[in-house]
Amino acid sequence: MLINYLKIAWKVLLRHPFYTFITLFGISLTLTVLMVLTSFLDHLFGSHYPENKRFRTLYIANMLQTDSANTSMSSGPASFRFLEKYAKSLKTPENVAIVSNFSFSNTYVNGKRIKINTKYTDASFWKVADFEFLEGKPYNEQNIKNGDYVAVITDDLRDQYFEKGTLALGKFIDIENINYRVIGVVKGSPPTRLYTYGDVYFPYTAPKSNYQNKGIRGSYISMVLAKTIEDIPAIQSEFDNNISRIPKEEIRDASHYTVLTVKALRYFDHFLDTFARDDSQKVFFYSIAGLILVMIMGLPAINLVNVNVSRILERASEIGVRKAFGAPAKALLWQFIIENIFITVVGGLFAIIFSFVIISMINSSGWIAYADLTINFPVFVISIFICLIFGFLSGVLPAFRMSKLKIVDALKA
Amino acid sequence: MLIIEIWASFMVLFGVLSLIVYNVSNYIQPIGFEYDRVWNLQLTNNQDTVAVADKMHRIVQQIKSNREVESLSRMSSNSPFSANQMMNGVTYKKVSISPEFFYTDENFSKTMDLPVVTGKWFTESDRVSKFTPIVINSKLEEILFINESPLGKVIKVDDKKSFKVVGVVDKFKSKGEFANDTPALFEMLSKDDTWSTNVLIKTKAGVDANFEAKLVKELAATLPGWGIEVSYLTEQRKNRHNLTLVPVAIFLIISAFLLTNVALGLFGILNLNIAKRKNEIGLRRAMGATERAVTKQFLGEIWVLATLSVIIGLLFAIQFPIMHVFDLNANVYMTAIVIAIALIFIIVTLCAWYPSRQASKIHPALALHED
Repeated sequence: MLINYLKIAWKVLLRHPFYTFITLFGISLTLTVLMVLTSFLDHLFGSHYPENKRFRTLYIANMLQTDSANTSMSSGPASFRFLEKYAKSLKTPENVAIVSNFSFSNTYVNGKRIKINTKYTDASFWKVADFEFLEGKPYNEQNIKNGDYVAVITDDLRDQYFEKGTLALGKFIDIENINYRVIGVVKGSPPTRLYTYGDVYFPYTAPKSNYQNKGIRGSYISMVLAKTIEDIPAIQSEFDNNISRIPKEEIRDASHYTVLTVKALRYFDHFLDTFARDDSQKVFFYSIAGLILVMIMGLPAINLVNVNVSRILERASEIGVRKAFGAPAKALLWQFIIENIFITVVGGLFAIIFSFVIISMINSSGWIAYADLTINFPVFVISIFICLIFGFLSGVLPAFRMSKLKIVDALKA
Repeated sequence: MLIIEIWASFMVLFGVLSLIVYNVSNYIQPIGFEYDRVWNLQLTNNQDTVAVADKMHRIVQQIKSNREVESLSRMSSNSPFSANQMMNGVTYKKVSISPEFFYTDENFSKTMDLPVVTGKWFTESDRVSKFTPIVINSKLEEILFINESPLGKVIKVDDKKSFKVVGVVDKFKSKGEFANDTPALFEMLSKDDTWSTNVLIKTKAGVDANFEAKLVKELAATLPGWGIEVSYLTEQRKNRHNLTLVPVAIFLIISAFLLTNVALGLFGILNLNIAKRKNEIGLRRAMGATERAVTKQFLGEIWVLATLSVIIGLLFAIQFPIMHVFDLNANVYMTAIVIAIALIFIIVTLCAWYPSRQASKIHPALALHED
């Protein structure tokens, strides 16, 4: 029976190649856009190299200072001392890393400038982030304690600064007139991973890191790694508890701000938090995002339903004949549903091919360095699911109307 | 159903066009200054807090002594094309406003080729008594000084601090071509300033990275422990532009795909509808209607549909300028609406044209025979 339906579906598709093309175009392009979009979002927010453990990591990236009347405010990252005192001291997490926000510097080779992104980190950073070491190893507590001039660089910087194809381990790199010994070379990460991306990593005791800064605001963020996802609420409440015990004088910190808001948040929440501070703004954000999504999917869906409704009238006589020979409405309904699922699946296959091509083009274009967009399993499942919804939207509705036609009307048309 | 489809397309077009019209209308306004050979040297004093102001003075003299340098100027961290912003409140005759503050010195106009329209750029000799000399842009002039000359007027910051206007510049769109022209003022740096550690260096033509490397090496020797970063304004401008262009490009691609989809679908539906009405067309032709009249009928029908959809769309779109959503100029929305309506009609007409032509060519004898 199913084979028969599929055969009919195939013949129907071939009967009017132009309409089949319209339908396939709609389905495959909508799905391609969706898959590329989800893949990109997954690239931004999912757990990927070197933040493979992002799903169980909390970020303390932004602190908000307001005065008691809530009329003026100031926000930004915290100081190293603040994080050392209130984040590093947490008992529940597996590990806590303190990393400087991005900063830039230049180095010069043969009259050419290399722009580099510098990062100051503690030793735990290398345990919280899973960098792949191509050469050497990360700096340890001892290096930090000694204030050694050592650095971990990326393979990309190695190839630009040293001759391509040579090893960099133990060599020296001159950055702003200070020679740092290369202690390790890591595979670089995409710049979209703000807190782990860098070209060169220094121990926080290296010059110009400003870890000595007094006060609560500075240029450092903290990555708190939980043992399991279930531990996250416990860590958050422990951190909130730590923050609530900060004495008033310390919060005032020679400014007129008396209220301090700082939270340990999961990556996506922390991202949302930077531009939507209260709940109403979050609702606004979600409704805008929802609206865009509805537009992207809704328009092709309406289009598809329109085309299908129009086309199905064309097949009225076919339906009339089948009904006259005793086919129940249910059988006809099934035929149309299967036909539509069939075309949706074909469209879905095209979509996967297109997305694969586009994603590999993005990856190889160098638009994002070290881009690692993938068509991964969750994205695929979501897409297939959406495929089916599309199939039902454009299949069930017209078919339902059709199967209720009287035989006489259907035959006459 | 067709109405919903056309309405949705109209809304998509309206959204994307608003974004494009906004950016284009900003882009056609000149940024007002030259950035071609200007380098931005960003210094950070880090843990060195001893005599920072003196060191900055010395550094400026040291850089100036190089023959590769044409002109240079100190500036606050919100240098052109940077992401930083500094807004403060000022008051003049009970009108309060928060313009962007740029802290800089007497060479700024020369370094950035920023022409002064009225008055002059401030110099050391303008710093008399308790007023700090400032230069304002014409946008700020429009808001604060209606029907009077701004020169010599005193603007209040707070009880302790007041400015005296010595000149007016036209535009200074520091965030690049795609930014809006917003009120701004330039305050003369005080002698003991330690915050404004950016130095804008205008180099002579043909100066390359070799000089840059040499300069950085010298500075690093003079200023141990300081952070030194050189970037070209042309590079920074490109980065800023990408911040605007990438989202616009993504929206453009997505909506282009949506509209292609809609156009194809519309074409298919109209084709089918017209095919179904063969008899009617045959009859009209037999009664003496010309080909043109038949084409006109079908185009007219789709135009009526499109008009209905656009009217529904307008009910939504008109809310944007009325409610001042996203704080954009009402003209932006109006232009977007007009272009969107035009595009909808063009798309609809294009999609209806071919099927209508086909229909009009049907021979009455054939059409009537089939039934």
